[in-house]
Parts: sequence; structure tokens; C-alpha cells
Amino acid sequence: MNKQRNRIFFVPGLWITDQQLLRRTLVHKQYYSTPLLQRFFLLLISIFFSFSVFAQKQTGTLKISFINTVNGIPLVLNDSVYNNSFKETYSISKLKYYISNVRANKASNPQKEKNSYHLVNAADTTSLHFSFSLKSGNYTSFDFLLGVDSLRNCSGAQSGALDPLNDMFWTWNSGYVMFKLEGSSPQSGQVNNRIEYHIGGYAGANNVIKKISLPAAFEVIAGNTTELIIETDINKLWLGPNDISIVQSPVCSTPGALAKKVAANYSKMFSLKNAMIIKN
Amino acid sequence: MKTRVIISLAVLFFTAQFFIGAKEIAGPGKPTYISFTIPPGWPKPAHDIFANNKLSEEGFQLGRKLFYDGRLSKDGNFPCASCHQQFAAFANYEHDFSHGFNNSFTTRNAPALFNLAWMPLLHWDGSINHIEVQPLAPLTAHNEMAENIDSVLKKLKADTAYKRMFKAAFGDGIINSQRMLKALAQFTGCIVSSNSKYDKVQRGETSFTQSELNGYNTFKAKCAGCHKEPLFTDNTFRNNGMPINTSLNDPGRMKVTGDRNDSLKFKVPSLRNVALTFPYMHDGRFTTLGLVIDHYRTGIQVNQSNLDSLLKNRLPMTNQEKNSLIYFLNTLTDSTLIHSARFAEH
Repeated sequence: MNKQRNRIFFVPGLWITDQQLLRRTLVHKQYYSTPLLQRFFLLLISIFFSFSVFAQKQTGTLKISFINTVNGIPLVLNDSVYNNSFKETYSISKLKYYISNVRANKASNPQKEKNSYHLVNAADTTSLHFSFSLKSGNYTSFDFLLGVDSLRNCSGAQSGALDPLNDMFWTWNSGYVMFKLEGSSPQSGQVNNRIEYHIGGYAGANNVIKKISLPAAFEVIAGNTTELIIETDINKLWLGPNDISIVQSPVCSTPGALAKKVAANYSKMFSLKNAMIIKN
Repeated sequence: MKTRVIISLAVLFFTAQFFIGAKEIAGPGKPTYISFTIPPGWPKPAHDIFANNKLSEEGFQLGRKLFYDGRLSKDGNFPCASCHQQFAAFANYEHDFSHGFNNSFTTRNAPALFNLAWMPLLHWDGSINHIEVQPLAPLTAHNEMAENIDSVLKKLKADTAYKRMFKAAFGDGIINSQRMLKALAQFTGCIVSSNSKYDKVQRGETSFTQSELNGYNTFKAKCAGCHKEPLFTDNTFRNNGMPINTSLNDPGRMKVTGDRNDSLKFKVPSLRNVALTFPYMHDGRFTTLGLVIDHYRTGIQVNQSNLDSLLKNRLPMTNQEKNSLIYFLNTLTDSTLIHSARFAEH
């Protein structure tokens, strides 16, 4: 008899007010002497825990990883020399770009990452991947913005990945640098053969925010992690749809026509390399 | 039985925690939230600048301390207040260009700071889209404060007074760029100029002299097309037909939009406190109100291709009208603002 009572008390959690269960206990007296409002909160807490246990069973984790490459070879900052399709040689000292508004799509109910703002920085390996929880199920595609959505460009001081401390916010013409590549090339006529592409612009005709959609059939299993490995090919920055040569355009540091051309190119640099389930 | 008691006690304990927590939210040690008052009869602000930056007395005071603190600049000599002086309605008194780090000059006239909540875009060319991010521009400019955010935050973190004030304003002692900028916006956003003689006349508390009244009528006929009451600006960008200053070659609004049609367009400044904010125009080229009016009467280069349509025929005005207009413009000086202890350095 006692055992059964215990079980009722434990499992649903909701029937704590059952007089039969608590009549003869000290706690019972305390409980009923507490105000009605507090008893109501007890009920809410019980419901909350029941739901959270229930919900956990329905969600898995999606881990997104980026591998920055040049022509299929993993990017090495500073030391490696690369060639673009115009036979121009260059090296890269800095590569940073924003990934935001990450979304995984399935037949119904697409899953959006909350507060989804990430700054990928080739110099910081911890920035090359991030994870979020989402409902389990079979997904058909995956998309994100390359850049920061226009709203966050004009909503005042931000924090985290969007903190101006990250040196990705233009102080003289409000708005985020969505993509930043710096390095050098003998073909650049700038000081120290510098190449510098600071690509930004969030409004109207100057908008360079790119939605990247990658077809990806993957499954998220409750309690497990699915990892999507996305490969970027930085060399795409110079080649098609717009041909951009270093000798002609070694620098882009303002919103406008050139920035839009560069963005149209680098929006093609992402491909899904692998999707795999990591059993937890 | 024993298990039941323990679990019930545990649940009660957690519930109690909840209520203790709830009390803390309203209790002492939390910021004192204050409201932002819109003067009667004024339009709604352009943005609700305090929607995501809850205005508090502690936040305002922190912002005021930052505004007057030279440590926001590289060499300690250039607080915000060095170019935005209260006695000049937060413009830079008698300076066409302002002084910056290492004996440098700015390239535009420092604008007066008041009624910023009603401004959709800041700076002469509208390059700044939100009051909270504005301080980043002067703070990092080589010819102004010449600092970087990282270094400023280090200086603030080393000061126990700031630790205490950030805690009072934001609930804990974390000092970061977002909080610094939000606090500054609380101070600058609260600077409202609405108590000039003009305002008192509008409220029926006093009346204009005959000259001021004549000037008001001239103003309404010739100037109000751009300098719209009660803010005395419509916040648009216009080319008012000044010859380009060839030592600056400042393209104005075009610098932001890249649009040729925006060449030589600058923001219409408010005329409130205009008697204190000389010299005038984006490059401070006119030292007196008389010279400004003369520009509109006779100086406008009417052949400029994107000259504002309201100025195509210049603004003809007799000498008497001009003099009355200056009398009227002097009624826009808000002595309450420039003497207010609330906005002064503490």
C-alpha cells in the first residue's frame, strides 16, 4: 500500500495535493498552511519537470563545422601561398565571416537556432563549429545567412559575436563587415602588397547579405548529435559569376558595386562535405 | 514515508527559492527605472531609443560620467564633452572644426546634442543609424579620441568607481562595450531642449516682442519648409547651394549612399539653440547668423544640379525681415538646458 502511494507521488508529480497521500505527514500540514499561490507554483513546477523530461526525448543536437580550404587544401594562414584562376599568387593573414539565422528544414516545422549569430575566424579553431538542439527527425536542407541580418545592423549596441570589439563593425558608417579577408599578393599595387576585402552593406541596393541553402538529407536522432561538415573554398572569391582579379581590385572596404560582386562570388564557396551521426 | 517527507521538503525548498528570487527583482540594489518624457504637443520620437535600453537613474548617471571622462580618449584629453559643451547646447563653442588627438582637427563642425531621440539618423551625412553605436565613431577616429574599445574597457575595469556604477546600472559589475554604449545613450538620449522662450510662448506663459513676432512670421514663410516645428528640423538631407569647400571636397550624404543625387547633401540641423552653436554649416564656414541668412538671400549657387527645390529662387528677404528673423532665432535658446545641473559634469 505504502509502495503504491510512493509511486503515485513520484511519477506524475501532479497529484501531490492528493489528501489521501499526505494526510498523516508533517509535510502535509506545512503544505496546506502555505498560501494557495505557492501551491499553484508547486503544480507548475511539477508540470514543467514532466514536460522537460518528455521534451528531452524528442530533441537531438546539430553540430555545424566549417573547414576553410583553398582549392580543396585546408587553409593555412600567413605561410601558405595560393594561386587564383588568374594565376595571381596570394597568402591570407586574416579570414573572418558571420554565419547567422541558421535553420534546418524538414517537411514541416523548420527548426531555427535561437539567437543565431556566429563569427567564424580562421585564426580561432573554437570558432569553427557550433551546436544547437532541435527536434529529432529527417531533414532535407539546411540554410543560413552569410552575414548579419539587416535588423541587427541597425538595432544599436550588440554583444557576443556581434560585439564591436570583434572588429567587424564599421564605426564611420554603421553596419557590420559581413566577410573579411586580408593578406598579401605580389600582384597588389597597395602598400606592402596588401589585399583587403571588407565586405559589408545591409540596406537597399548595397545589401550583401547572402542566404546560403545547402541541400542536405540528414537525420537527427533524439539524444544524439548529427554533425554537418561544411567546406568553404576561399578561391571562389575571385572567380565567377564575377571575375575579380587582384591586380585590378586588391582592396574593397566600402559598401557598393565591388562589394556586391565579391559577395556574389563568395556566396558560392560553401558545400556540404559530410553529414554524420555521432552517437552520444 | 521518509522519502516522501524529504521530497516534499525539497519541493518546498525550491518553491521558496522562487519567491526569494521574485522579491529580489523588485527590491533594493536594482536600478531605479525612470521614464522619458515627451514634451506636450511634440511628435513621437523617430525610434523608441529606450525600448531595448531600459532607462534608469543609475544608467543615466553612468552615461554622464562616461561622457565627461577623458579616459575614453587615447591621451586622456578628449572626453565627449571636449567637443560637446553644455554651455554651447552640447556643440563646440566658436569652433568650425574641433581639436582631436595629436594636434589634429576634425573635418566637420561638431553638431549640438539634444533631442536625439527624434533623429532617425545621426551625423551630418546620416552615416550613423542608432544612438547607441554613435560613440564608436569619435572614439576610434584618429583625428578625434583615437582610442580603441578594448583599451577603453581595460581602463574602466581598473576603476572601482566604474565597477560600482556598472553594477548599480545593470545589476552586476560586468563591464562590456554594449553596456558602456547603452549607458552613454541613456545620458545623451535624455538631453531634451524644450524650454526656450519660443516654447514658453507656445505654452502661453509669455509672449513675443513685436520684432520676435515679425521674425517668427518670416521664419514660417521662408525657413519652416526644412526647419519644421517643433524640432526645427525635418531630419532630411538637402543641398542648400553652398559652393564646395575644395580643401575638404566633402561629398556629404553621397559618401554613405554612393548615389550621385546625394552629392553635397547634408542633414538639416535643428535651429534650436542656434544662437549658441556658431559657427554654422557642416564645415563651420559662417560665423554669424547674419552671414547664414545672407547665404540664403543672395549666396545660393542656383546652378547646382541637385540644389534643393525650395531654394531654386533663393530666399529673398528685406534687411528688416532679416533683423527680425535673428530676433526670433534668439528666442530658441534654452537657458534651462545649458544651466541644468542634471546634464553637467559631477
